[in-house]
Amino acid sequence: MSIDIQGLHKRFGNFVALENINLEIPAGQLVALLGPSGCGKTTLLRIIAGLETADEGNILFDGEQASQHARDRRVGFVFQHYALFQHMTVFENIAFGLRVRPRSRRPSETQIRAKVHELLGLIQLEWLAPRYPSQLSGGQRQRIALARALAVEPHVLLLDEPFGALDTKVRKELRRWLRRLHDELHVTSVFVTHDQEEALEVSDQIVVMNHGRIEQIGTPEEVYDAPATPFVYQFLGNINLFHGRAHSGWVRLGGLRLQAPEYQDAQHVPAMAYVRPHDIDLLREPEDGDTTIPARITRISILGSLVRLELLQTEDGEITEVEMTRERFAADQLKTGDLVFVKPRHLRVFLQEEENQTTPLPHWQGHGDGI
Amino acid sequence: MSAPIPKTLSTTTEPPLIRSALLGVALIFLSLFLFLPLVAVFYEALRKGIGVYLAAISDPYALSAIQLTLLSVAFAVPLNMVFGIAAAWAIAKFEFWGKSVLITLIDLPFAVSPVIAGLIYVLLFGAQGWLGPWLAEQNIKIIFAVPGIVLATVFVTVPFIARELIPLMQAQGTEEEEAALVLGASGWITFWRITLPNIKWGLMYGVVLCTARAMGEFGAVSVVSGHIRGLTNTLPLHIEILYNEYQFAAAFACASLLTLLALVILAIKTLIEHYTSTQRQPSSAGETA
Repeated sequence: MSIDIQGLHKRFGNFVALENINLEIPAGQLVALLGPSGCGKTTLLRIIAGLETADEGNILFDGEQASQHARDRRVGFVFQHYALFQHMTVFENIAFGLRVRPRSRRPSETQIRAKVHELLGLIQLEWLAPRYPSQLSGGQRQRIALARALAVEPHVLLLDEPFGALDTKVRKELRRWLRRLHDELHVTSVFVTHDQEEALEVSDQIVVMNHGRIEQIGTPEEVYDAPATPFVYQFLGNINLFHGRAHSGWVRLGGLRLQAPEYQDAQHVPAMAYVRPHDIDLLREPEDGDTTIPARITRISILGSLVRLELLQTEDGEITEVEMTRERFAADQLKTGDLVFVKPRHLRVFLQEEENQTTPLPHWQGHGDGI
Repeated sequence: MSAPIPKTLSTTTEPPLIRSALLGVALIFLSLFLFLPLVAVFYEALRKGIGVYLAAISDPYALSAIQLTLLSVAFAVPLNMVFGIAAAWAIAKFEFWGKSVLITLIDLPFAVSPVIAGLIYVLLFGAQGWLGPWLAEQNIKIIFAVPGIVLATVFVTVPFIARELIPLMQAQGTEEEEAALVLGASGWITFWRITLPNIKWGLMYGVVLCTARAMGEFGAVSVVSGHIRGLTNTLPLHIEILYNEYQFAAAFACASLLTLLALVILAIKTLIEHYTSTQRQPSSAGETA
């Protein structure tokens, strides 16, 4: 079932939680709502579920206005902290949605039993049926919560930071499992996360949100490779930030000078440029034409298959972060204290006026230490 | 050679002398102020023989006092149960204007002396009170009658259940209710199948405390009762009358009844506490497949 969100506004007192949200989610897709905490992503999810009401705007399911009340919307909702019914067994938790149906639509006891066991089979936890939630691990609880949500055969599955309370290893397992499950069931699913890696790995589409607005909608490749705004650039992946000025189709960033035909009309406008740590080459010799910046290697950390180098630009003391493969690192024979020349391969330039609309979080400024 | 490891960690345990001293002080205090009076009640009650004891508690006035006490409990506890659950539900699960005022109001009976509470009822409903003349016209008697006693008892026991439930429901949050709602449950079903089971032990604990207080209430009831024997005397008031009439054995006999009820309630309370603490750490032994 497709979801169509039109002109949604929501305020909590003076705080604007959502501002003019327009979003179409095609049927059968797995969509991630990604953003920092307080960006409105959970509020949006709760409005889709009917647990919260919007001040303005419409939610359409398959082109039709969604029911007023949450219980009539036929959505499955998975909570960050599971929200399993503590006093019921796993079996009764999953059966709950079927048992509370009005008598006319309520399945028989045998049908309920069969359905619950089918779902327990799907999540591969059949042996847990007689247990209570307090006897389960976090990962098991979240899978039970998912089975409970699926029991009512929802048109839409909504997951609020489903793996947020789990440790890294279980989280990785579960998100792969969720992806496989989605490929099997094809229920239109929306999940909220602040973890960019999770969003990139699992989803078909990513909706990046900030300050109650949508910054960009796109496939994982699109939002990672072609971020629409400085915020998206910073939020997805690590970045290095260079400050400079744009003038008549050229941008000057410290010692760098590069062409920016899109800013042909700009006259001495402050600009900022973003470059990913893995989009930087380190050269031993400077190149002609102001395409490199001299810097000294101050720290080298080996991170599994990658090597991360921290460099101090010799001219203005800014820190630059570079990532390369271990093979490349070994071939270049780089050592702490070496003088090298930084050459960005892909630079994305934003003018300062744009930047004012989406103020980057302070700890991302000045050096490339994103999340 | 390494030094032997001390049996107790001195950083977390006090020396034996201090421990036994503290324990001793607590025990002496308890036996002087709690256990001794308890023994005294039963000793005094039975001093003149079991015959006098039985006569005292089967006296028609005593029986009617017991009846009235149980009647006010029968009103106060269910009323406060409904009110307590409703108030705790509203306070714990919703944000609304005047919430802190409601919380303060619930605490009012704790803060106000019961005698004052009784007096307020007299001022409101008494013959000289605000509503007195109107009530007299309608031929409704509240002060110096059973309704006044029930009202006073309800008033002084208001906080017990609500106060027990508010922190419990606040800690539980609203997620389970929201989950039930999304799964298609109506508000009523959600209350009976999700909310109530989650608060049942807290509710029982509140009911037990409320019952104990309702049976023992003296001050407020004393003011509104009028002490009419066989009509408006509750058990505590009956005991006072007997005592003032120098019928010590009878007074203590009735007091022993209240004491017994209190002990029963204490036992139930302990059971509930024991059950809730074991329920929180259920053993998974024997269930592993």
